[in-house]
Amino acid sequence: MTESSSAPGVRVRDLTVVYKTPAGELPALAGVSLTLAPGTITGLVGESGSGKSTLAFSLLNAVQPPGRRSAGSVEIDGIGDVSQLAGDDLRRVRGRQVGYVFQAAQNSLNPLKTIGKQLLDLGRSHEVADLPALVRDARALLGRMGLDGGRVLDSYQHELSGGMRQRVGIMLALVLNAHLVVLDEPTTALDMITQATILRIVQEVHRERGLTTLIVTHDMGVAAEVTDSIAVMYGGRVVEHGPTTAVLGSPRHPYTQGLIRAIPRLSGDIAEARALPGRPPTLGTMPAQGCVFRERCPERREICDSVDPAPVAVGDRRVACHAVEPAPASARVRKECA
Amino acid sequence: MIIATGITKSYRQRGNLLGGRDVRALRGVDFAIGKGGAVTFIGESGCGKTTLGRIAAGLETYDSGEIVIDGVRMSSLRHRQRQAHFRRIQLIHQDPYSALNPTRTIQQTLDAPLALRARQTGRSKAWADNRAAELLTLVGIDPGYVLPRYPHQLSGGMRQRVVIARALTVDPEVLVADESVSMIDVSLRLGILALLKDLRERLGVSVLFITHDIATARYLGDDGELYVIYRGQVVERGATETVISAPVHPYTQSLLSAIPVLRGVERPGPERVEPTEALDESHADTGCLFARRCPFRTERCESELPLLGRDGDTTQEHACFHPRRRSVIPVEVTA
Repeated sequence: MTESSSAPGVRVRDLTVVYKTPAGELPALAGVSLTLAPGTITGLVGESGSGKSTLAFSLLNAVQPPGRRSAGSVEIDGIGDVSQLAGDDLRRVRGRQVGYVFQAAQNSLNPLKTIGKQLLDLGRSHEVADLPALVRDARALLGRMGLDGGRVLDSYQHELSGGMRQRVGIMLALVLNAHLVVLDEPTTALDMITQATILRIVQEVHRERGLTTLIVTHDMGVAAEVTDSIAVMYGGRVVEHGPTTAVLGSPRHPYTQGLIRAIPRLSGDIAEARALPGRPPTLGTMPAQGCVFRERCPERREICDSVDPAPVAVGDRRVACHAVEPAPASARVRKECA
Repeated sequence: MIIATGITKSYRQRGNLLGGRDVRALRGVDFAIGKGGAVTFIGESGCGKTTLGRIAAGLETYDSGEIVIDGVRMSSLRHRQRQAHFRRIQLIHQDPYSALNPTRTIQQTLDAPLALRARQTGRSKAWADNRAAELLTLVGIDPGYVLPRYPHQLSGGMRQRVVIARALTVDPEVLVADESVSMIDVSLRLGILALLKDLRERLGVSVLFITHDIATARYLGDDGELYVIYRGQVVERGATETVISAPVHPYTQSLLSAIPVLRGVERPGPERVEPTEALDESHADTGCLFARRCPFRTERCESELPLLGRDGDTTQEHACFHPRRRSVIPVEVTA
């Protein structure tokens, strides 16, 4: 088995990313650890300012100044620690090994060039020898996603609908045969039926090509539909990470519980839906010590004001909360406490 | 009370050498909102729901049809009089980030319409100042904090509340909320919806809610009405709860089936209809508009256009030759 043909695992360890502001360097990510198991789809769920995009960009070592990685590592199987790469080595990894699908709504495509031209640019910048083969692959991929590949490659972005553009983004991320794919808000600004179609395609392509996929989203429903596991982010921390059905069915962290309760649903008593009080912290309003969620937390206790809870294993997941009883001391937990 | 009948609207699309063609955004839509009522339009992007909302707020012209506000036919009025009537219907913009002037403080933003209002009603400047604080309190934000600030200093949720407060300055009877929560963080979204619901109950303001997220429509009130719009035609209309729990039109069923299932809490509805994606079908206009995407179409659907109406055993109106109740929405898993 060669490195490039199997789904890689990803291990983010104690990653801290700080942004330079007039008030000093503030952490957008504060010692985040997250493991993506090979071949799985992970949902990274969080609100704006939770650090989910910063974490996603870190997989490409693409955090832009004034942001800076100040500690931690991002290990990807077959690549090593991405955060140590630079220059041409880094450029080759992006696209070839890690594919990134940008938000369709944002202008991630060049409006002055046809999709085909942009595909050729991509091929040339990655020294692809056989460009006709690249075009064939692209056409096949687009065909797989239900589009007329030839027509799409001859089109400009404004001639394509949101759903089509999203599929072009997925094609560009996969055409160089990357096996780790990051999708940033893949369905934001798409309507319900297009969203359902895109999510189905993501799942099918994931399975067929043997990928490790990370979906960054603010929408718990999107994560619920397609992922194997969900990592919930709040204030630059992963506060809960576990299997999707478990996290949704019996959320442990008070934030996850609140987030799920805040989703208006189609069945059941609508009056049970409740907004979370308060608002999410921004870089400037993040408390310097203690739990970042305590201001909005119904389970707040004294220790929350002074000690930032570390993520601990609780049954099938990891939770960072003082109010959650850790699992009966297993070897793993004991090691972490030591 | 607003009653609209037979609203049509076409846009001229610029074409190639052979000339453009008309895109029919609305094909004879009727709707009515009573005092304190809640009406929701749902549909895919491009179905005409936003156009309809803008027409209702007097921001867009229509080709034919009539809007009657409190018994006054809008077509019988001159522009200036019509404007005065439409001022009672205020649009809340989709994007709170671009709806506020970035060079003005919130105080300045609210002052202009309040000064106008004070002049109209013969009140003093002090009243206007008071009213600004009163309105901000009403929408749940602290006037002392917000008034001297610029929009960029506020969070998205606060900005949306300011936009709502600004709409309330002219004492509107109807608020048109076009995707008003789609750009707000999930944990705060429900707060904005609760505010709209509260304004309905406390001030008797009607809400015309335009969205593609059907679940949020439920939150506005169980006495609300839901209109499902497809390619400019209302294809199903009825009480919100009824249309959601027992839809009869295959398009409504596709829309409801496309909503993500919260696995672990819900399982997919028993009669879920696999949604098919929108086709480029602005050309074909014979027969039912939805026929080419419909899994239940028959020959009749391809030649004849079904009109909105009611038949014996459905409580809602629909435009389908083969209506059948299907239970498509996710079912809660009881542990």
